[in-house]
Amino acid sequence: MNTNETHVTQENKMKRRWGMAIDLDKCTGCGQCSIACAQENNLPIFEDDSDQPKRVAYLELMKVTNDRDAKYPNVEVTFIPKMCQQCEGNDPSNPKPPCVSVCPVVATDVGDDGVVSQVWSRCIGCRYCQVSCPYEARAFNWWKPRHEGSFKKSLNSDVSVMSRGTIVKCTFCSHIWKRERDKAVAQGITDINAVLYTPTCASSCPTGAIVFGDLNDPDSEVSKLSKDKRAFRLVHTIDEKPEDEKKRLMKLKDYPNPKVYYLSSRQWVRDMMRFK
Amino acid sequence: MKKIERKDFLLLGGGAIAGGLTGYVFSGAPFLSFQWLVEWTQDQYVPTKGEEKYLQKLCEYCPNKCQISIRMIGDRAVKVESSNSCCPLGQATLQLLYHPERIKTPLKRTGSKGSDKFAPVSWDEAMKDISSKVNKLVKDNKADMIAAVNKDYSLSGELLERMIKASGSANVYYESSEKTIAQGALGGFAEYDFANTDCIISFGAKLLEGWGNQCQMNQHFLNWKKKGVKLIQVDTNCSTTTSLADEWIAVKPGTEGILALGMANYLIKEKGRTSGAPNFAAWSQIVINQYPLAKVSQLTGVDVKKIKELADTLIQARNPIVVAGKGSKGVSSSSVEMQAVYGLNTLARTGAVALKAPAGMGAIATTGKAPAAGLDDFIKNRDFEVMFVNEADPVYKSVLGKNLAEKMEKAFVVSITPLINDTALYSDYVLPSISVLEGPDSNNAEIVKPYKQSKHAGDIIIGVAKLLEKAAVSFQWNSCLEAMPGAGQTKNVTAGFAFNAEILKNYLNEYDKLMGSTEFPMALLPVELPYVGDGDGLAFPYVLKTIDRHTYSQGKLWVLINRESADKYGVSEGESLDIISERGEIGSVKAHLSDIVAPDVVGIPLGFGHLAYTKYAEDKGVNAKEIMSDKLDPLSGSANWWATRVKIS
Repeated sequence: MNTNETHVTQENKMKRRWGMAIDLDKCTGCGQCSIACAQENNLPIFEDDSDQPKRVAYLELMKVTNDRDAKYPNVEVTFIPKMCQQCEGNDPSNPKPPCVSVCPVVATDVGDDGVVSQVWSRCIGCRYCQVSCPYEARAFNWWKPRHEGSFKKSLNSDVSVMSRGTIVKCTFCSHIWKRERDKAVAQGITDINAVLYTPTCASSCPTGAIVFGDLNDPDSEVSKLSKDKRAFRLVHTIDEKPEDEKKRLMKLKDYPNPKVYYLSSRQWVRDMMRFK
Repeated sequence: MKKIERKDFLLLGGGAIAGGLTGYVFSGAPFLSFQWLVEWTQDQYVPTKGEEKYLQKLCEYCPNKCQISIRMIGDRAVKVESSNSCCPLGQATLQLLYHPERIKTPLKRTGSKGSDKFAPVSWDEAMKDISSKVNKLVKDNKADMIAAVNKDYSLSGELLERMIKASGSANVYYESSEKTIAQGALGGFAEYDFANTDCIISFGAKLLEGWGNQCQMNQHFLNWKKKGVKLIQVDTNCSTTTSLADEWIAVKPGTEGILALGMANYLIKEKGRTSGAPNFAAWSQIVINQYPLAKVSQLTGVDVKKIKELADTLIQARNPIVVAGKGSKGVSSSSVEMQAVYGLNTLARTGAVALKAPAGMGAIATTGKAPAAGLDDFIKNRDFEVMFVNEADPVYKSVLGKNLAEKMEKAFVVSITPLINDTALYSDYVLPSISVLEGPDSNNAEIVKPYKQSKHAGDIIIGVAKLLEKAAVSFQWNSCLEAMPGAGQTKNVTAGFAFNAEILKNYLNEYDKLMGSTEFPMALLPVELPYVGDGDGLAFPYVLKTIDRHTYSQGKLWVLINRESADKYGVSEGESLDIISERGEIGSVKAHLSDIVAPDVVGIPLGFGHLAYTKYAEDKGVNAKEIMSDKLDPLSGSANWWATRVKIS
């Protein structure tokens, strides 16, 4: 191997670690992220998509309230857009999300950019990953997705249409990144780190509540937000522990370590979502 | 010839088979068939590929005129992105554009009304038949029997208004909205300067959930946060707006107006504020006599101190806004409440609120009889022989929808809509219109081709108008694009706002009577979901995906009941209920117990229970409007359906 080649590999080494920060104080629950996601990712259309246990959605717009502990009128509501949290396990350099370690056919894996992939033509439908996911972010196609009649015309050709009997989930719209990279390559830019992108939920958010970017870049908005006082992660009690206790616990057990951060100034939201 | 031995024959045959198999394997055919097998078992549809490009279009649906970018794969539109990604319509429009139940051609009714039996006809035939019906009425001096219902103040709405007025009828109505109600109650619709205010007090207007122009409200919301603008929400149930507001003042159901009157009382009596609007003296006398703070406090459930504090906040603000018009997409209010809230704006001497009226497209003097006060008034008290419905769905959305359907059975009705809705069921002709993505914009670039034979609603109306003997002269345009520059204009209201003491006089008595009813102890409170709104979103499967299980699931609509009230009335979680009002009952909804609604309230989602509107919306839940109050407001002519009393069983 000559030095020149090494140099090229060094330069092209993936520096990105995609993450997301969602500011719930800015979210009006308008639902545009959910519609845009469905449109971009060719989500299946069943006879009745209002039927929650049966429907397939990547982004669930959860409406939560503190009415268990508070009485009218001291109640509040907030919307939590919940998608795949793109976990990385205890060690980012050797990512081991709960779903990846159980997949028998490598249909789901973590890319070097930190995005947990899902290839549904490889999936055999055993649903281990769905069971192991702490966030219920994965959906199973119990029925054949039907894009009735002319609905087929709005299908995005960058995303393969799902088939019956497979698990699907959000992939941070990684096909958009591929599309942007292809465009960059056509312009002669071969450095993979030169290309940024925005998933459709973030670009469709009218109030800019969803911010997407590179967590490895300390200057990116998303990494600043992830360190904000208001930031928390879903069902992730370990974040509150002191640093040495955290280290000790991480030796004992694998934590999902999601890369989606939520921001809220409401204590009850933070407590509820941590299962305190 | 050598005789082939049996052994050789077997050898040759075996060799041929072995050779064939080897060739077959090396040809790759078995692997291909494996792939076919996989594709067949997984039954995967592959979208057709094509050249990717982005089309730019100016969306002229609302006054915002957003630049939208449509991602095309070949001739298919696959994604809509807008410059400020603020429009709620944009994302769902593709579902309308490619809806499998889009109307392909003009349709003529073949069965009885309501039976959903139509046959395709040509545009020429439909236009000829429709125009001859109108011409005959005009000739017979019965122009007053022509009516129109518009969805909102849009280009096609203004064109239809012009056509009807030019034909000699004043019967043009708009579906109930904050604008129509304000026009009746205040003499114009209030234009709020949300960009330059420092304090907003909203009386039930769900400003962040689709109220008014959602596109603009989202932008304002961000600016308010940045600038520290105070948003105070006076409301009955906990919603996104109350939670995002700086302060939520919880009032008893239906007392928003009374709180406003209490604040007015304090400002007039203790702060010496006056208003220059006509009839203020008479109005303020009633406010002072009938709405002392102690009484207002008792009725609304808000402390006297809090009322004073709220009024003080209002007058201390530099440029405050007080907003009325309860709801988000479906808006309802009483004139007394609209006047009281607008009165607060005048008492606070704010510069951030002005009254406007639609200018129309040049003056059309109409000789017709004065119109009814509003759509619901018209449905209840007037008759018609020909009705045009422009992208509206009054049979579904009006609380008097059933009465309208009955009257429509005896009349000739033309409905302009891209999908068959409840109103179209009762129409003689259904004319297919287009979504905002289709057709050219005013830069005249053809964008996405209109679906099959669909046309822009404005073009349909111009087409009809040109065939009318009387109205044709008022339509010099060949297409609605030519007409566009003259549309969407507003003018200042010259007469201005005047207090109406007459309607205020008996308000408290009527309120007492309503509340005093022991038969109906609970208030029916409409709640709306994002996107579903008051029903428009339900035809789209991706919108159905956003519905949560405590709103609608597995064929049942859920209503919200406060936990304390649930104990009081003996209701348990998931129990099936009937809701009964003076007007009737709706059955078999499920109860969800939650403290996000006030005690003695049934929170019911709007937008469900369509008769038609595609298979995705049909037979889903119940339409709460069927039992909502149809008591007409004297000024706005709209039913104040927000004030409905019910009981549960």
